[in-house]
Amino acid sequence: MNVQRMLVSATIAAAGAAVVLMAVPALAHHSSAPFYDATKRVEAQGPVTKFLFKNPHSFLYFEEATAQGKVEWQVELGAAAGLTRTGWTPETLKPGTLIKVNGQPSRAEGSHGMCCARITRADGSPIVAGGRVTEEEQPPK
Amino acid sequence: MLAWLEGTALATWTRESPSIWAYPLVLTLHTVGLGIVVGASAVIDLRLLGVARRISMPSLAPLFRITLWAFVLNTLTGVLLFIADATHKAGQTVFYIKLGLIALALWNTVLARRVVLGPTQNDAAPSSRHSRLAVVSLLLWFGAITAGRLMAYL
Repeated sequence: MNVQRMLVSATIAAAGAAVVLMAVPALAHHSSAPFYDATKRVEAQGPVTKFLFKNPHSFLYFEEATAQGKVEWQVELGAAAGLTRTGWTPETLKPGTLIKVNGQPSRAEGSHGMCCARITRADGSPIVAGGRVTEEEQPPK
Repeated sequence: MLAWLEGTALATWTRESPSIWAYPLVLTLHTVGLGIVVGASAVIDLRLLGVARRISMPSLAPLFRITLWAFVLNTLTGVLLFIADATHKAGQTVFYIKLGLIALALWNTVLARRVVLGPTQNDAAPSSRHSRLAVVSLLLWFGAITAGRLMAYL
């Protein structure tokens, strides 16, 4: 195979790959699929217990009161560097703040984890005034 | 010790800085360094396998120094990425597998350097020793990259 034909083939392959990537909107970062089930949604609410604002991924913890007692949820968020660009700071969610979270559930049996969540205050208003409520369109981790 | 490392100012900066010039830059440099280390090694390996035979083996010598400097960059950025999350990463088996594969790959590179800089006949078919060094190198780097990537998932 001559060099020119190889280059043409490589270009076609790259273009094909680009089309596939664009057709899968979920692939912005890297897949959360090994950990979270994108076909399901769960919702819970309660007071924030802990907010770890860090790289490469932040974690938000809150406590839901259920009939069986209290359950602590772990919500995986984007990097501190990314959250900052959406107007969030480490002080945005202080312990005790009431929030409502709707996200993809963790695949781990018996765990209470979520990713790719829509997070609002208990009344449905955005966490940051005027800010968006969907923290990440897709995949952490 | 690990907790102390994680609490140092440098580790805290890497982990908690909201700046795009902090963690994202460190991670990017780590990836660029990886590209250069493994890329330059792959060039040497391919030549050992008989690809591009018009390039004389000794003329590849500068690639070893480039590999070394890129490796230094990755050691520095790797230390930052490690200390930012020391207690977790130190408990990951796949992290030690990654370090072990890198150590073996570097040792293999030292052996390959002797061959490349030694007396060679350019147009000769690759010897089985050359091929072995090259294949082992490619497999070790492939394994090290895989182990490193898996650290985010296991």
